[in-house]
Amino acid sequence: MKLEEALAFTERCFNGEPASCTYACPFHLDIRAFLEKCEKGRWKQAFKTLRNAVVFPTVVAELCDMPCAGSCQRAQIGDEPIDLLALERAVLRLTSDRRGENYALPPKDGKIAVVGAGIAGLSCALNLAMKKFEVTVFESADAWGGSLRAHPKFAEFDEDFRLQFTHEKVDFRYGTTVTTLDELADYDAIYVATGDGGVDFGLSDSWDAELFTTVNPRVFMGGGVAAQGLMAAIATGRDAARMLEVYLQTGKAAATYGGYDKRNCSRYVQHPNAVSEPRVAAPEGGYGDAEARREAARCLKCDCDACLTSCEMLAKFRKNPQKIATQVYTDTAAAPPYSAHTLTREAYSCSDCGYCKSICPEGIDMGALLRSSRVARAKSGDVPAALHDFWLREMAFNTSEASYFSAGIGQETCQTVFFPGCQLGAMQPEHVLQSYGYLWKNLKSGIFLGCCGAPAYWAGREDLLGENLTAIRAAWQTMGQPRFILACATCARMFAELLPEIETVSLYEILADDESLQPQRVFDAAAMFDPCAARDRDDMREAVRKLAERAQIAVEEMPEKGRCCGYGGHIRVANPELYETETLNRAEMSELPYIVYCANCRDVFASRGKSAAHILDAVFGLEVTDTPCIGDKRQNSVKVKSEIMSMLEELPFEPQVQPWDEITLEIDPETAERIDRKLIGADDMREAIFSAEHGGARFYDAESGLYQCSLVKAVLTYWVRYNPLGDNRFEVVDAFYHRMKFAKG
Amino acid sequence: MTALAQWKCARCDVPLELKKTEFEYMERSFSHAVPTCPKCGDVFIPPELAEGKMAEVEEQLEDK
Repeated sequence: MKLEEALAFTERCFNGEPASCTYACPFHLDIRAFLEKCEKGRWKQAFKTLRNAVVFPTVVAELCDMPCAGSCQRAQIGDEPIDLLALERAVLRLTSDRRGENYALPPKDGKIAVVGAGIAGLSCALNLAMKKFEVTVFESADAWGGSLRAHPKFAEFDEDFRLQFTHEKVDFRYGTTVTTLDELADYDAIYVATGDGGVDFGLSDSWDAELFTTVNPRVFMGGGVAAQGLMAAIATGRDAARMLEVYLQTGKAAATYGGYDKRNCSRYVQHPNAVSEPRVAAPEGGYGDAEARREAARCLKCDCDACLTSCEMLAKFRKNPQKIATQVYTDTAAAPPYSAHTLTREAYSCSDCGYCKSICPEGIDMGALLRSSRVARAKSGDVPAALHDFWLREMAFNTSEASYFSAGIGQETCQTVFFPGCQLGAMQPEHVLQSYGYLWKNLKSGIFLGCCGAPAYWAGREDLLGENLTAIRAAWQTMGQPRFILACATCARMFAELLPEIETVSLYEILADDESLQPQRVFDAAAMFDPCAARDRDDMREAVRKLAERAQIAVEEMPEKGRCCGYGGHIRVANPELYETETLNRAEMSELPYIVYCANCRDVFASRGKSAAHILDAVFGLEVTDTPCIGDKRQNSVKVKSEIMSMLEELPFEPQVQPWDEITLEIDPETAERIDRKLIGADDMREAIFSAEHGGARFYDAESGLYQCSLVKAVLTYWVRYNPLGDNRFEVVDAFYHRMKFAKG
Repeated sequence: MTALAQWKCARCDVPLELKKTEFEYMERSFSHAVPTCPKCGDVFIPPELAEGKMAEVEEQLEDK
């Protein structure tokens, strides 16, 4: 992956960019930061921020026409903009020391002549002097100030100039008229700031408004002589000083890093929850401490953090999107043990639910970015395989032993085929059996038990994903390219993205279209929990609502659409804490029980003790179970396959028989739930016990009478602590695993 | 480790002893003393170790 490819994901993100008011300010004052300091009453710091941007704070606070007001987002809610000038004046009143800062820098090589001691020349001279260049100002009048001398408040401006020049050494030569630049041949560079109507030495036609250069490479220009207004003249003085420094160091004026290249911000942060607050009225003599703080507090602190505050994962890791993009790239170059990855946990903690994209004003999909990181890691081979091992093993099983497809009894091909997805039957076999019974009877649909490939997709395993897509395409061709009837929103998402040639429809739309179906009222009232993958599937969402309505369930909508229950992205092993937070937050979104139409959502909520019914429970009048599906989901999948095959009058399906199938595990419900949380399957526990009981390694504790044994699989090593009950029955008291491998001692 | 003293290798019927064992994860290896059968060399990992220190180290190595 190239850096540009990673950054392309977030290039439209404007988190951390200056606010729109700052774009409007001729000085690009960081108004948000300035107002934050004012709000806290940190007047000295506020003054420094102001002074460093505007050079002459008293002059600017008096004469700026406040273009920032036109960009203040208070206008979105009908409020008056922040009164920035009143606040700047308050800061000046509330700051006792209004001098410029005294930077102890060594003197720099370079003699610069400034022609004109008006505001433009003073600004440039001051900024050059602060950089410790040798500066001489030539002024034909007897004092500084230029056109401002005629202003009624000139005494205050005069004082401001004096304060800002306090620490700087500048040679002012008053009463000296420069008639030709040849007189300044001794100087390394010249800044012409002779004011409106002043002498331009024939250079103003060649003036470059970006670099402030003229046709004479040694001569720069700014202010009234270049037809600039007062504020622009001050700002240009500051920026031209920077340009002169570049010229003196490199021999050429050029835009440098640190310039302000984003001049046209058209992006405004939305403030849907902002409360209207009128502008704080100024007493006579202007704001005092309290009023100034209140007025500053009206600032909405415009910065887009929509994804960072709504996604638990992004909030937890506290990295902004651009930083994550950069790290996705740098991680591809990490070469452990010589250099480390910086993003592993985040990358594998993303639910890939698309919620960030749905709320981002620019539609940035952090899920896609982080998935690309998982793909890159998987390709490099340097991947924490344990984080997705459980689901990849599940997928392997669901695409082999538990997989099956048929066009239907006596049919070579079919118009439609039911693809229930891997989890529906594993969690509740009746959901698949009843649905297929209905579809066969009404549509003569075929059946395809398999997996859409989401586990490989989320693990970043493009190799496994590709193999599975090939297998799905092949089955689709064999059955005569039927339309797929999907029960799972994630399958629908995967098909739309990866198998666009296959036409699909959701099971719920077919069921909702059948007016003769009378779903049962599983709850009087319920909240509709749409799976994240159904966010953009209006047809599916509407169909489920129709079915719920026909079941006479009073349905309440959720405040946020398409939040992930926690299952998405398979983050549970990578980040158990985050998984807990997400599942709990979703379970608490409404006090009502939930209607769901994703088997994983249902299971997640049941594990949190949240009552949730699958819409198929209502459709087929099934009992709503409040318990999570603990134990052998694989047995359920095999049962579904076996019953469907007998329904289709196929030869009886003979599941693969393992010698440990004979073992019966007895686990008390609390322990079973604890083990299930660790994602340890009953099959692995049986295999471990079987091998221990048949001559393998096992350990014994005489006091408790317990045995412990292990099972080393490709990625994980499982351990089971058990109590033999005789008759091939074993009580499991604990099971756990580790990811490290060890050498036999 | 007191509770561990009671565990025996069931095949060899001898108490376990702490022995340095090589562990490997995410292409890094290190050694740690764990209960081992002095006769057959089978390694015993108690749940507190697997879900405590080992899990901690595993997570650190994954994040590198």
